[in-house]
Amino acid sequence: MPQTIYVSPRAVGAPDNPPPAIETFDLARLYDRRPAIAGVSLRVERGAVVALLGSNGAGKTTLLRILATTIRPSFGRAEIDGLDVGRWPELVRGRIGYLSHATGLYDDLTAAENLRFAATLLGLEPPDARERVPQVLATVALGAEADRRVRDFSAGMRRRVALARLLLGSPSVLLLDEPFESLDEAGMQLMGELLHAWQRAGVTCLVATHAAERLLPQANGSVHLEAGIVTAIGGRGVGLSDTPAAGPPRSVPAASSAGEASR
Amino acid sequence: MTVGAQARIALAVARKDAMAELRGRSAISSTLFFAALVLLLFGFALGPDAAHLAQAAPGLLWLAIVFAGLLAVARLHQLETDDGALEQLALYPVARRAIYLGKALAGFGAMLVLGALLVPLMGLLYAVDLLAAWPGLVAAVLLGTLGFAAVGTFYAGVTVRLRAREVMLPLLVLPVIAPLLLAAVKATSAALSGDPFGELGAWLQLLAAFDIVMLIVGAGTYGFLLEE
Repeated sequence: MPQTIYVSPRAVGAPDNPPPAIETFDLARLYDRRPAIAGVSLRVERGAVVALLGSNGAGKTTLLRILATTIRPSFGRAEIDGLDVGRWPELVRGRIGYLSHATGLYDDLTAAENLRFAATLLGLEPPDARERVPQVLATVALGAEADRRVRDFSAGMRRRVALARLLLGSPSVLLLDEPFESLDEAGMQLMGELLHAWQRAGVTCLVATHAAERLLPQANGSVHLEAGIVTAIGGRGVGLSDTPAAGPPRSVPAASSAGEASR
Repeated sequence: MTVGAQARIALAVARKDAMAELRGRSAISSTLFFAALVLLLFGFALGPDAAHLAQAAPGLLWLAIVFAGLLAVARLHQLETDDGALEQLALYPVARRAIYLGKALAGFGAMLVLGALLVPLMGLLYAVDLLAAWPGLVAAVLLGTLGFAAVGTFYAGVTVRLRAREVMLPLLVLPVIAPLLLAAVKATSAALSGDPFGELGAWLQLLAAFDIVMLIVGAGTYGFLLEE
């Protein structure tokens, strides 16, 4: 029986009023009964580059991981392009790119082999993958290292390969966790140029970083998290979310709503 | 996702696992050496009586395959703990069942390599005539190792994030594969003895049914294991 796809009413039939790229409603995640984030209700507009700021343990990575579908929220819900991340994780994964602290690379494969594997899982046809992999490696200045195993790479080089993997896909929303981490000066400049390119292409970027001085000049807005709570929102492209127009009411445990629906 | 797309994903995952395993040769050679050692030690434990050894050979073969197989399937998931690879794998917009089937295929390949080493070694150590028995023996090894890979891959996914995974994996897998072990030993025994009671086909059918059920269960539930 074909599945009926639930999409927020704001996501369909209203091309002149598309849903925000990212929206969260009273989002909370508990670890051992302690909240990593609590009551996070944010809206990030399409095409905005938003800095997610806060000290260590503020909940930035937890928020990004919920949006990236790798962990489920304990309460509340989140949407990417109007799609509930708990109900439609596979569809959401097709729309996002996530750069985490870990690079997710296989040590015993070469840089090119890692990227060819990623290209296949991202749905690129083999001829396209063969063409794109050298291109993205050249973009991150690792063209000459394509056939070296990543086990022998420095942390910065591994980070560049992870960046190259992001370039293989065509996400509408990018979730970047400390993208400047481990990069040398040239790498940081490259990261800044990529952010500019994504911004020009209308890709929404939510960027958790401690390098605010690097990001803020080109960011449209910023969100400050402290102890899991939003303490400040500034600039354009970001704001507090409205009451959800559809879907389960606020503060309903995800396990009894979004979680069950996806099974 | 279409069936063709899922097959392409599964093959890519299996190929990636095989490449990573072949590059880290020490893991393969130590697993094969361990398997051979188990078979050899069982032989020592049973003594020099050739008739006794030949009678026990099917059971000893499958115990060696199971013990070494546990190492092999655990190792294939261990690859995913390299620098957050499991989380990255979970992020791709693909059906999780395709990832499971790919990893099970890689596990099946590793088990076949084990079988290809251990069956001739069994013939040599336990003075068993393999030539007359080979069609039934090959069928038993193919079906038995496939079922083991299906179960082992699933439970390796269950335990990959646990600190005590080396202990938990055998504790979870061994009770589940008890029927498979019984059927595989009986089928091997029937094949080696020339199938005097015509039971080989029934045991092979039981193995095939076990494989199908376990692959369906594994493919349907593996996705939940990739989430925290």
